[in-house]
Amino acid sequence: MEFQSRSTPDALEVRLAGRLEFTDHDRLRDIIDALEGAKPRRFVLDLSTLEFIDSAGLGMLLILQEEAEQRNVKMIVSGPQGDVKRSIDLAKIGEIVTIEP
Amino acid sequence: MAISLSDCRVLIVDDNEFNRKSLALVIRRAGITQIAFAENGAEGLKAVDSFRPDLVLLDVDMPVMNGLEMCEALRRNATHEELPVLFQTAFDSDQEQVRCFEAGGSDFISKPIKPGECVARVRHQLEKRKLFNDLAAFRARVQRELAHAREMQHSLLPEKRRLTAVAERYGLTLDAHFETSSELGGDFWGVYPLDNRRVGFLIIDFAGHGITAAINTFRLHTLIDRFPMQDCAPSQWLMQLNSALKDVLPTGQFATAFFGILDLTTDTLTFSAAGSPNPVLGVGGDIRLLDSAGLVLGASRRAQYVDQSFRLPRGGFLFLYSDALIECWGDEHGPIGQSAVPDFVRDALVVNRTHPLEPMMERFYARTRQPLRDDLTAVWIARRA
Repeated sequence: MEFQSRSTPDALEVRLAGRLEFTDHDRLRDIIDALEGAKPRRFVLDLSTLEFIDSAGLGMLLILQEEAEQRNVKMIVSGPQGDVKRSIDLAKIGEIVTIEP
Repeated sequence: MAISLSDCRVLIVDDNEFNRKSLALVIRRAGITQIAFAENGAEGLKAVDSFRPDLVLLDVDMPVMNGLEMCEALRRNATHEELPVLFQTAFDSDQEQVRCFEAGGSDFISKPIKPGECVARVRHQLEKRKLFNDLAAFRARVQRELAHAREMQHSLLPEKRRLTAVAERYGLTLDAHFETSSELGGDFWGVYPLDNRRVGFLIIDFAGHGITAAINTFRLHTLIDRFPMQDCAPSQWLMQLNSALKDVLPTGQFATAFFGILDLTTDTLTFSAAGSPNPVLGVGGDIRLLDSAGLVLGASRRAQYVDQSFRLPRGGFLFLYSDALIECWGDEHGPIGQSAVPDFVRDALVVNRTHPLEPMMERFYARTRQPLRDDLTAVWIARRA
């Protein structure tokens, strides 16, 4: 997985690309550090260029949600496509995380 | 890293008595007290076997058997492959040094002996050997423990004998496949006779794989016994399991699940699911994917689950599997994918009508890179016609 982050006045936007899976656990720390550093009001996780997510990847979304909540930051997952959207829907992650099309 | 050299054993092989004595003097000053001597390569090989040195200081030119021959003989023996051998050689001879390395030498000390350099090189080799041995011992211990844990994990799953007994009791065909991607995995499945007419089936996949996921399967195993399945709907049972898992699982760890109860008197399968891959239901000629969407277990205390019921008469089947089946790929083939599973099952039924799991696994392994990236469980449950 590769990610790019961009800060706007009130939001941190992180766009993930490629595959988010078991082996990406170390990269999660980098995203949390970005969240820590930016101190935004909103945290937008853009999945529109993510191609695949496995169960460990879904777990990372839940971890990011908790990290955001602890910092009083509103997390929004945006634009999941194809297989990624199917996996998120199957696991009903939308019941815990705010997901926008 | 500075280690104590006092428990290290050094063998000095040299035909010149003065050299043997001066080398011994130098390394004794560095704290090495266990020293043995040999006067040629042949004696040296015997001394290696009897004295078991941690390092050999080896001269090159000696009668009977020279140092190069002795070193080559040592390297041919697997036991001494890693034994450090320090050649004593004139440092200006490039050709001789090359010959020493080719014979399997670890390093050189220059002649005439310079005490500081000699001790430094000896110490370096002994430290390297100690680190290597520590690492090898650590690795061996972890491998032993993982092998043991692996047996424990397999003991959580239904034994072949038990499967046969359950299959007989309820008039079923039960075939299962279970493989972890490393020594341990996060998959689990079980079959639970509830009474004379009902039998339950559970398949669970903890996120991730390896040791963490495996520990969760052990947690799960103790939780399952705590919640009787007899008197509640599958959805209620999953809710109980969900709350219990939420209590013990850290954020980010969760499980997908399918829990179904087959009732033989009403020919009905009632199930509830928490995000497991879509099971396949086959009745008559109709083969379809069941909707198994549901909030994964252990992620939220507020999770709600729903029950669904389908007819599963004699001759019908249910195929359960973990996501490895549809997500793993190979060099020439992409993953099978969720939507292709009914065809995958259909093709296997053509090959083997009663035991299609076998051809399914053959086809899966033929197209998938190994070792698998994730744990694979597949369970075939059919009612005999």
